[in-house]
Amino acid sequence: MPNLGELALAVALLLAIYSILANLYGARNNRADVLQSARHALWAMTVMVALAAISLWMGLLTSDFSLAYVAEHSSRSLSDFYKFTALWGGQEGSMLFWTLLLSIFTSIAAYQNRTRNPEIAPYALAVLGAVAVFFLGMLNFVTPPFLLLAHRPPDGADLNPLLQNYWMAIHPPSLYTGYVSTTVPFAFGAAALITGKLDDTWIRTTRRWAIFSWFFLTLGNLFGARWAYEVLGWGGYWAWDPVENAAFMPWLVMTAYLHSVMIQERKDMLKVWNLALIGLAFALTLFGTFITRSGVISSVHSFTQSGLGPYFLSFVIGVVVMYTALLIYRVPDLRSPAEFESYLSREAAFLFNNLILVGIAFAVFWGTIFPILSEAVRGVKITVGPPFFNKVNGPLALALVFLMGVGPLIAWRRMTVKNLLRVFAAPAVLGVATGVALFALAGLRQWYVLTAGSLVGFVAGTILAEFRRGVVARRHIVNETVPRAVANLISKNNRRYGGYIIHIGVLIAFVGIIGSSFFKTQVKRTVKQGQSFAVGPYQIKYLGLTTADTPHMASATARIEVLENGREIALMDPARVFYKAPQQPATQVAIRSTPLNDLYVVLAGIDDGGLVTFQVFLTPLVLWLWAGGLVMALGTVVAMWPNVRERAAIAQALKAQRGEDEELAADIARGTD
Amino acid sequence: MRTTDTTMRVRWRFLVGAGLIVAAIAYLIVAAIQSTSEYYLTVNEVSARRATLAGQALRVAGRVKPGTITWDPRTLTLKFAIMPPPPQGNSGVTPVTQADPPTAPSFKVICKGEPKPDMFAANRDVIVEGTLGSDGVIAATQVLTKCPSKYQPSKGS
Repeated sequence: MPNLGELALAVALLLAIYSILANLYGARNNRADVLQSARHALWAMTVMVALAAISLWMGLLTSDFSLAYVAEHSSRSLSDFYKFTALWGGQEGSMLFWTLLLSIFTSIAAYQNRTRNPEIAPYALAVLGAVAVFFLGMLNFVTPPFLLLAHRPPDGADLNPLLQNYWMAIHPPSLYTGYVSTTVPFAFGAAALITGKLDDTWIRTTRRWAIFSWFFLTLGNLFGARWAYEVLGWGGYWAWDPVENAAFMPWLVMTAYLHSVMIQERKDMLKVWNLALIGLAFALTLFGTFITRSGVISSVHSFTQSGLGPYFLSFVIGVVVMYTALLIYRVPDLRSPAEFESYLSREAAFLFNNLILVGIAFAVFWGTIFPILSEAVRGVKITVGPPFFNKVNGPLALALVFLMGVGPLIAWRRMTVKNLLRVFAAPAVLGVATGVALFALAGLRQWYVLTAGSLVGFVAGTILAEFRRGVVARRHIVNETVPRAVANLISKNNRRYGGYIIHIGVLIAFVGIIGSSFFKTQVKRTVKQGQSFAVGPYQIKYLGLTTADTPHMASATARIEVLENGREIALMDPARVFYKAPQQPATQVAIRSTPLNDLYVVLAGIDDGGLVTFQVFLTPLVLWLWAGGLVMALGTVVAMWPNVRERAAIAQALKAQRGEDEELAADIARGTD
Repeated sequence: MRTTDTTMRVRWRFLVGAGLIVAAIAYLIVAAIQSTSEYYLTVNEVSARRATLAGQALRVAGRVKPGTITWDPRTLTLKFAIMPPPPQGNSGVTPVTQADPPTAPSFKVICKGEPKPDMFAANRDVIVEGTLGSDGVIAATQVLTKCPSKYQPSKGS
């Protein structure tokens, strides 16, 4: 099997190289047969990469420790589930997994565009092929996943204990899916630049890809935060670590992109900006891999520090330089006939939203690479920690939330002040009322929290107003119940109302972030069996310790009783675990979540004298963050959902208009949806 | 019809607006860097610049000196000394078998009120966050252990 995997990767590389040449040749000489052959090569490449992945999976599942990768990232006693996930538990496997996703997405893009977009698709596929060549080159020559050990060890070194967690099973695949799928819109953007076919074809063709990518970046970040929260045992979910920032930056830029393409589709503006954003998003996904793999930036999550860094850096720089040069070359052709007309317009709101999102991405980037910059410029490494990111991004987040309320409601082109007052009066009142209630009833005094609360009220008001307007309009025309009208409203305009649902999710998550950042408390206490201590409104009583021992791990579990007003409300079991193969201890946090707050108990230490140390965090509203994330995901699904009626309507219209055949009209409709 | 003049004026207005936003973001970044930056130094660098570092927020990277660890679970007080990693040794778990040169600098670290980190042990690479007192003792607010061998690159067969 290992030899098969190695061979498959070599063949895949050759196929990728061939596909680039065939795509370029076929496009230049208008040879449909050659283009078809290029597509076949890409599909065959995908089969080869899948074969390689399967053979590594087989190695992991059969504990074939003659493979260095298996020996280093698995062990006999590891469960089959984690043996399966160990594919992305180490560097070589992660690269293979990345390449597998890239191949699959490339194949799908090739299939989707087998008849569509004959002018740019071959070039886009050539770009995708070139990216595949880079990754396959890495797999063949720099981080080969099928290295054999001279002496087969009796057992493996085990998967890192921190990765033996179910969130780790779904977090990396989500994030990688998000990262890798940005390549498709990027490739079409690059193809538009190469061919000079600079209308919004590339955007329309890849709209669903961009939303798909954003969906998985959102989930990837969310699952990563959840994993950090459950596993790392420090009571938080986000530490602005370089690795987290690397996942956050592409998300920010893709968020900006999804908004600004609407301006191009509607107003034919921001063309250069959109092409720049998609290039930036793609470069940031590579940059993220570079900083996590190269070790140039010290992270607490030290990943493999390896020879991969320089290659990735060269590739990122190469991509950025070539893409920027192309973009500059095409700028004269990208002039927009339309202009911004007024600050009081949707175009302006979207422009500012974009500036702020990219500004946040830049601040995060700057803070992440600051140690390198300061060392290069001043000869001393200066780091900035979470306070830096919070200080910069705090005010920017407020501005962004504000614009999230303004953007969807304000008119295109320009809005009169009178209309502005009419539309925004009610939401503004709701916002102010929220702020006053937080001040007077909840007794909050931090200006940031009060501002954030008011803005949440304001934005919620604008979204409610939008739904209300739609429902009223529908019921004016058709006789429907209110729930029915809401359902129809969403299904008939799924892109728009999916967007609003995402915004609701953002608001819920924002409330969770504010609550958990501003009102977190912690108590650390060393106690004997039977002793108790207070955490906020709760009493925590330590009942005793039990130990367990398996070939895989040894563990000590503390049983605690949580009391509120003298009544038992929960039993919790925080534990410490010792993984035997890697000789590594880890903590298993016990969490009790309610919509109001999370009680988060860490068994921080066990001493011979029967003393145990607990670290307990009481964090309000954390659950809101996860709930908000899920609402965002739901809204994205709604926005992505194929709108059958819309397509049919467009197809019909085209057919009637031009009298052309049905199939073509359907194809066009597919492209425009 | 809009005259080119109006168009130009509106365009300028937008450039000014966008410029103001960019300037505001730049200001936030610069101000936050100034107020939150910490020196990230190795033990040797701390030793060399000791005079200028007193009271300054620091992150110090080094290795836990064997035989210096004391841990009091009742008060959550961890004391140890931090030393530079041996030359060449890039692995966090390679035990130091040779005696360190007697001149190798080391600093005492006191961390109060935090649980002992999971992988804390002699000869582990750690990052200490805190301030250096005039007595040469680092008052740490946090001690971070770096993940050991699992994440080392494979050397092949």
